[in-house]
Amino acid sequence: MAKYGFVIDVEKCTGCHSCFLACKDEFIGNDYLPTAAAQPDKGHTWIKLNEVEHGAGTKLKVDYIPHMCQHCEDTPCAAPAPAGAVYRRADGIVIIDPEKAKGCKSIVNACPYRAVYWNEAAQLPQKCTMCAHMLDNGEKTTRCAEACPTGALVFGDLADETSPAAKLLAQKGAKAEVFKPELGVAATTRYISLPKPFIAGEVLLADKPGECLKGAKVTLTAKDEAACQVETKTDFFGDFEFKNLAVNKNYVVKAEYEGYYAKEMTVRTYASLNIGALMLEPR
Amino acid sequence: MGHDKIVTSTAWSPGPGCHGGCGVKLFVQDDKVVRVEGDEQHPFSNGRACPRLLAMTQYMYHPDRITYPLKRVGERGTGKFERITWDEALDAIEEKLGRIRDEHGPEAVLFCQGTGRDIGGPISFLAYSYGSPNWVQLGLGGHSCYTPRLGAMMATQGDYAVLDAAQFSELRYDDPEYELPKVIVIWGQNPMPGCPDGFFGHWIVDCMKRGSKLIVIDPRWTWFASRAEQFLQIRPGTDGALALGLIHVIIKEHLYDKAFVEAWTEGFDELKARAAEYTPERVAEITWLPQDAIIAAARLYAGAKPAAIHWGVPIDMNPEGSTVAQAISHLWCLTGNLDVPGGNIIARPSHGVTTYPFSTQEMHELYGEEFVKRLNEKRIGANEYAMVRNFRGWAQPDLTVQQMLSGEPYPIKACWIQTSNILGGQAVDVRLHHEALKKMEFVVVADLFHNPTSMAVADIILPVASFAEKESFRSWWAPLQVIAPAVQVGECRSDWEINLELAKRFNPELKKRYETVKDLINDRMKVAGTSYDELKQAGGWVMPERGSASRPYRRYEKGLLRPDGKPGFRTPSGKVEFYSRSYAEWGLDPLPYFSEPPASEVRTPEQYEKYPLIMVTGRRSSVYFHSEHRMIPWLRECDPDPIVEIHPSVAKPLGIENGEWVCIENDQGRIKRKAVVTPIVHPKVVSVPHGWWLPEQAGQEPKLFGIWDVNCNVLTPTGTQSKSGYGGGAYKTTLVKVAKLREGRDRNG
Repeated sequence: MAKYGFVIDVEKCTGCHSCFLACKDEFIGNDYLPTAAAQPDKGHTWIKLNEVEHGAGTKLKVDYIPHMCQHCEDTPCAAPAPAGAVYRRADGIVIIDPEKAKGCKSIVNACPYRAVYWNEAAQLPQKCTMCAHMLDNGEKTTRCAEACPTGALVFGDLADETSPAAKLLAQKGAKAEVFKPELGVAATTRYISLPKPFIAGEVLLADKPGECLKGAKVTLTAKDEAACQVETKTDFFGDFEFKNLAVNKNYVVKAEYEGYYAKEMTVRTYASLNIGALMLEPR
Repeated sequence: MGHDKIVTSTAWSPGPGCHGGCGVKLFVQDDKVVRVEGDEQHPFSNGRACPRLLAMTQYMYHPDRITYPLKRVGERGTGKFERITWDEALDAIEEKLGRIRDEHGPEAVLFCQGTGRDIGGPISFLAYSYGSPNWVQLGLGGHSCYTPRLGAMMATQGDYAVLDAAQFSELRYDDPEYELPKVIVIWGQNPMPGCPDGFFGHWIVDCMKRGSKLIVIDPRWTWFASRAEQFLQIRPGTDGALALGLIHVIIKEHLYDKAFVEAWTEGFDELKARAAEYTPERVAEITWLPQDAIIAAARLYAGAKPAAIHWGVPIDMNPEGSTVAQAISHLWCLTGNLDVPGGNIIARPSHGVTTYPFSTQEMHELYGEEFVKRLNEKRIGANEYAMVRNFRGWAQPDLTVQQMLSGEPYPIKACWIQTSNILGGQAVDVRLHHEALKKMEFVVVADLFHNPTSMAVADIILPVASFAEKESFRSWWAPLQVIAPAVQVGECRSDWEINLELAKRFNPELKKRYETVKDLINDRMKVAGTSYDELKQAGGWVMPERGSASRPYRRYEKGLLRPDGKPGFRTPSGKVEFYSRSYAEWGLDPLPYFSEPPASEVRTPEQYEKYPLIMVTGRRSSVYFHSEHRMIPWLRECDPDPIVEIHPSVAKPLGIENGEWVCIENDQGRIKRKAVVTPIVHPKVVSVPHGWWLPEQAGQEPKLFGIWDVNCNVLTPTGTQSKSGYGGGAYKTTLVKVAKLREGRDRNG
């Protein structure tokens, strides 16, 4: 049995909206019963892009997170629905039945990911179907994944190790996670490189402040967890960056360079941080 | 989805709107295009498409699309038009323009186009067949779009150059001759959304995936900036100083390619002396960049080999754009990255075929040197600017609008405006251009949709075909490819078809040469030894042959670039000229230099005190091409409002909240925009996307689809052109202030 799923490499998403357009092209004006009724002309974003800016000043990052139905195992959207109106197929696709779910607006609010949309004219809750009608027809992928020009949005049968999604998961699976895990509904869509807090800054020498200091040692220690320590060197431009850190955790950043006094700073990752310059005084 | 057939073709212009080149598959059912996808077999785009291509069906069959010729029946600006036949339209145009030619001479008619699309070829062909020298990008301040860069490259190295993404090889990145750029400098561009100048933005992403490191120079954080080794958040309009600062460091630290400089260049000592003036300390002060970042960037770029620079239109929009472009092109020459794998490679139209004449040489080949010289006698700007006279065939836009108003030295009576929305798009000082256009006796607009320009001034409107409905060809830069029609929509005709028909009426000699557009295409393709049908049969595209003049690499060593067949470059000296003989001959400084923007904290401190923010216009959107597509629902949904991006540190003291409508103003005018408060812009800069008009609002005068409320060019000045006539439009350097809307007038107006 196939097990369909998306694997999304956020690092590669440039925010071009081709997925959104392909979804519109597929579903607007087209009924694909029994899995989908036509999407209305306006207002639905069965797949949308969240733009995220994080960091500050000269250390900033712009990311785009494709966001659609996560095809959760727990199907919280089924809770308020009449029997059989929302179901999860054996291949993992969560379907809102266009006949049985008619009039049931509470399905929209039951989705913690806010990925279900209300079709006022048809009185229907609607969402991403993983292009089930195409898959049922023997095709291997969805319109949005097909339209993705950078390989950020990958789809396939995860049970088939030759599918693009399974391959990507095999390659980068260690880094895969779910979007907003705190929602706790066993989402099945996997994300790679979801934006995480970073701590960035630069190291300067007090007696040579105009120069990029390459090769200064910078260590990051998670407070209360001395074992959790990473080390880096400042790059060509005297900059350092620690990526993929835990949210809301205290860290100690320490900069060292031979012939200079080391300097430490304690910071908390309530968000991505640009801690500015660590200025080292000569011994 | 069902379909009867799939037509493979090339996208260029109407449709996605862009500079084109992508291979596409058009799915046709019952003579209607029902779906568009990228063509996996095509080496330019390898199956990738964009939102604008994916929305093609909405664009082609939009209820507002103009599908038959129209003539104005009410007063200008009242929006009253009536359907006429093609014969009536063409007869009226022939009669009217014929009479103007008899009474005032052919130079009294302007032939106006917008950006680099499948329009430059047909419109210049029509202008010259009619006899007018005034082919112009009307409204484009300083003619600031690619021509300054092209002119600078032609002067320095005798050819144009582009970043090498293996785009001249059918094998692309797997070509054994190819090397990946180790470092890519993206200078003033977000290449993904716009795909400008014949360059597919995804190629940079391809290179990043394969390991290229980035240096990004921009006043605004982009996706690319977020992924760069180094991001230089530069003060708008100071790119020339940065380029000279980089040259300074590269020469001072001996990071340049001594063997290449020795063997293939001249003027190094003069450049060295000039660059000595641009110390990192001074450049840091000018550009807002840290000194150490400038030095580090120079080391990273020059220390990597190969390395390549990819640049955008902001270079042209710098003060003295043609000299800024010269400085940047010197960088790839100094470092020996010219025409080597993974560097900046020389780009010529594929197979020597001209669709759209990009150089004086191509103009000579098409129309004869004598004819081109004769055009210069009356061409607007050719007498004032030697570079305008000697490079390409454009009329200078800032002088053109003045002449439309003054009638000096000779009157302008009519405009032929083809797929260019002057008032909703490129025109600086929109009010001035509005006034000038309204003075015209006769205006023809050839376009696909009504827009502010057609509403304000069109007397006759001709319906133009999208790329999916036309027969055409493309050689910018590679491959040589055909555009094949899939369907017919209404009575729409292609730009080539319209222009060939009229050209024959104005120049009956042409009747003997070309019966159909295909005859013309075949004539132009002769140099490639192929024809439209033959190429279409063979898959629709062909790359230039290895060892030919339009295929890299190191052609200067092989004698492939100069007309005399000797090694070297097509410059007066045969070498790369750091000290440009052409610039000297044209009365310009032969060496690059920096010039402060016309309005800035340094040059006009009093004005700066009043208007303390620099407005950069023109940030690209992947769902729009310039002023197009605002009426396409799927696209508009992604980018719904005319916005202004403001840094939180600026918005907060002004009490401006995210999502609130604000007013942007200077002494020239005021517009309204929706505030996006974001750290991605520099605190001293506001980013104001261009091309905005509101098709959902009233089109009639005085509203003109809301341009007076939302078009950023209400605020940009004319007359800021470079000393060369090319470059200097103040699209990135105009000073403004932002304020909350006042109750009453602003809210109701």
